[in-house]
Amino acid sequence: MASAAALSPDRILRDLANVWVTLGKQGQPETGMGVLRACSLNLVVVAEETDEFQALGETLAALMPEHPARTIVIRYGAAPQPELSARVFAQCWMPFGQRRQICCEQIEIAASEKALDDALSLAGAVTAADLPVIAWCRSPRLMDRDGFRKLAGLARRVIVDTAPFSHAKASLARLAELVGQGLSLGDLSWTRISRWRGMIAQTFENRERLARVPGEVRIRVRFGGKEAPATARYLGAWIAESLKAAGIQVTLTLSSDASAAQGELSGAELDGAGLRVELSSGNGRLRVKMEDGLEHCASHPPATDYLLMREELGIVGRDPVFERTLRAAAAL
Amino acid sequence: MTLANPFRDDLRFERRVPECALVIFGATGDLNRRKLMPALYRLAYDRRLSAGFAVIGVSRTPMSDDQFREKMRDAVQHFSEDTEFSPEVWDAFARCLYYLPGDIGDADAYSRLAAKLAEIDKTHHTGGNVLFYLSTQPSQYAPAVRGLGGADLGQGSGWRRLVVEKPFGHDLASARALSEQLHHVFRESDVYRIDHYLGKETVQNILAFRFANGIFEPLWNRRYVNHVQITAAESIGVEGRGAYYQEAGALADMIQNHLLQVMATMAMEPSASFQADAVRDERSKLLRSIRPMKPGEILSNSVLGQYGPGRVGGAPVPGFHQEPGVEPQSRTETYAAVTFFIENWRWAGVPFYLRSGKRLPKRVSEIAIQFNAAPLAIFNGAAENTAPNLLIVRIQPEEGISLKFLSKRPGSGMNLRPVSMDFSYGSSFGERSPSAYETLLLDAMLGDATLYTRQDMVEASWAVVEPIQKAWRESNTDLPAYPAGSWGPPAADEMLARRGHVWRKP
Repeated sequence: MASAAALSPDRILRDLANVWVTLGKQGQPETGMGVLRACSLNLVVVAEETDEFQALGETLAALMPEHPARTIVIRYGAAPQPELSARVFAQCWMPFGQRRQICCEQIEIAASEKALDDALSLAGAVTAADLPVIAWCRSPRLMDRDGFRKLAGLARRVIVDTAPFSHAKASLARLAELVGQGLSLGDLSWTRISRWRGMIAQTFENRERLARVPGEVRIRVRFGGKEAPATARYLGAWIAESLKAAGIQVTLTLSSDASAAQGELSGAELDGAGLRVELSSGNGRLRVKMEDGLEHCASHPPATDYLLMREELGIVGRDPVFERTLRAAAAL
Repeated sequence: MTLANPFRDDLRFERRVPECALVIFGATGDLNRRKLMPALYRLAYDRRLSAGFAVIGVSRTPMSDDQFREKMRDAVQHFSEDTEFSPEVWDAFARCLYYLPGDIGDADAYSRLAAKLAEIDKTHHTGGNVLFYLSTQPSQYAPAVRGLGGADLGQGSGWRRLVVEKPFGHDLASARALSEQLHHVFRESDVYRIDHYLGKETVQNILAFRFANGIFEPLWNRRYVNHVQITAAESIGVEGRGAYYQEAGALADMIQNHLLQVMATMAMEPSASFQADAVRDERSKLLRSIRPMKPGEILSNSVLGQYGPGRVGGAPVPGFHQEPGVEPQSRTETYAAVTFFIENWRWAGVPFYLRSGKRLPKRVSEIAIQFNAAPLAIFNGAAENTAPNLLIVRIQPEEGISLKFLSKRPGSGMNLRPVSMDFSYGSSFGERSPSAYETLLLDAMLGDATLYTRQDMVEASWAVVEPIQKAWRESNTDLPAYPAGSWGPPAADEMLARRGHVWRKP
């Protein structure tokens, strides 16, 4: 279902229209067996040539049923021939028990390093009108280039992932600087701790426990390896900032856990007079133990790109809690 | 410390319920096993329940806590439709499950319940909040509430709420009597009458569709709408519920509650806010605007029927009278179609056709709004060139909204063809929709009664349905029969034909 395209936006959009004509002919609308175009946003993905494209394709295909989008994948790196090329196709699936296929549009643009700027301009011209544009920047290198600003300019929000950066502290500082300049960003490292945060928030949805929180709380976040990963910094900063906002004095410690794998977030504790909340993760479960012996357990599946992006694509505007926490985490 | 949770993140986390104990009367019954427990497990799986949460099941069968947990585990494994069963999540959830054997009529059972609630409050920190759920036969509602009142369980250190399942009485007088009994112990604001139709995502989406979009509301009135059809069709028969069903019938079982609530949601005026009582006031106002029929109008504006033997999916199926538990002479309707009119400026003169039946060709619930045809037919007069616009809100299955309009067929002539512009919930929001019971249980724990039925709404519905029941009961006419697998008795088609309308075949 792919077709080559020359590189004017008009040509790409014409090819896209032809994809629908072809799909329409294959379907039989009279019998309800046609195809249905689904599009609720534009997703612009920028990835380097060295990225895992098969895995990325699978992630995008899995995301489409929940966040149907016109997806524009920009693949840049070692110069392809010609410097800029594109193809269009449809990503289709048949919902269980139904007779009609649902299809989303995908545009793949390949660009040389030099032509990245042109590719971004092209992407901006072929987005579906009147729908939000979310960008997913999978290329850590791009964050320090002008192209990143151009990407941010065409999207309502840019999602990055600080996990591959070698220095978490420096990457968070860079992100905080960009947010300070007015960019609307998301970070998959922050998304990775959503379940942890949810569990903590749930634990304190109890008036008695809230009433027992003392004026001073010690927070300890445990991680594998020598340097605290972004997830540990985010979690520690978020707990500390939330408690501080409620007038509680906090002491935060990020400590290395020899039994945890490198870069893994392994546990968190909140301690104070009459309060002890202990979270730990393992075997796909997240557990919380409280001072009164109560325990809870919830599923904690591995944080795949699909799960993380599924959550992030549900947010099309700014995320104030993230931005506040990012500032604090960058300062740790 | 302030009692507001500092860790809330409304952008990412779903609404969190406050700590509470849930007491389920009729805990070994079908509703609890099939609907409530799977919904609660799913809420636990999604970490939606409070850390201070516990369930006490009450029923007559002697059983230990562990035996109850085992039974509930089987129920969750068997009846959870789209949720992975995780032994670890279950074990944590099961630690919050308790069982209390007791007879609803036995005052001692309520004293033991009070003691158990006090004990659980200490161990699970439920904050003194209790939600009582009557998942019993309707005849047990009054004794259960009396028992709760007798043990002073209608009040305590936290909130106390009561969830009641339909039917809310079998006529206006019994609905009022039931309500009075409930009000001896619970305030009306603490009574949650559940109508699971209102918990369905698509029914809630009617409000979003109407009041969050500017383009539809101007068309939503008698100037543009020709008539409205609301259908709730089931392909199954009474499925072993013959004894219950023959006491209820399609009018009381479906139209008096589900379909009139859907109609009220579809036709109500915009509320000033999305506060529970603001929305319910408008719904109630609409129900009170439905014109009760005069005795002479009833038989021409309503059709009841009973399914006879027929074939569904190539297999023979029995008629209603042949179903187990149904008396051979039963005059209970398995099909009902009614024409209602709303007496307000917005809807005066617009017929609202409601129909519901068992053993119809397929399971489908939808609202079809037919707009007036274009005032002048300037294209050639073939029938397909004059089809009116239709807006279809599909409630189940394949939830979504479709707009049918005419379009020119490619070619030289001006030939038109109806085309459909579809919004499908499944394709636009592939994420899982919570079940109606998940939504409604959470709402009750949160104290949000928007999707629950208030007593004045129940009474307004009975006020329009009861005269129909009475007229058919008193008439000597036989209930028209329709073959299983058909769209109901021919009289239902005639009812619409008198106004020049035709039932849609969904």
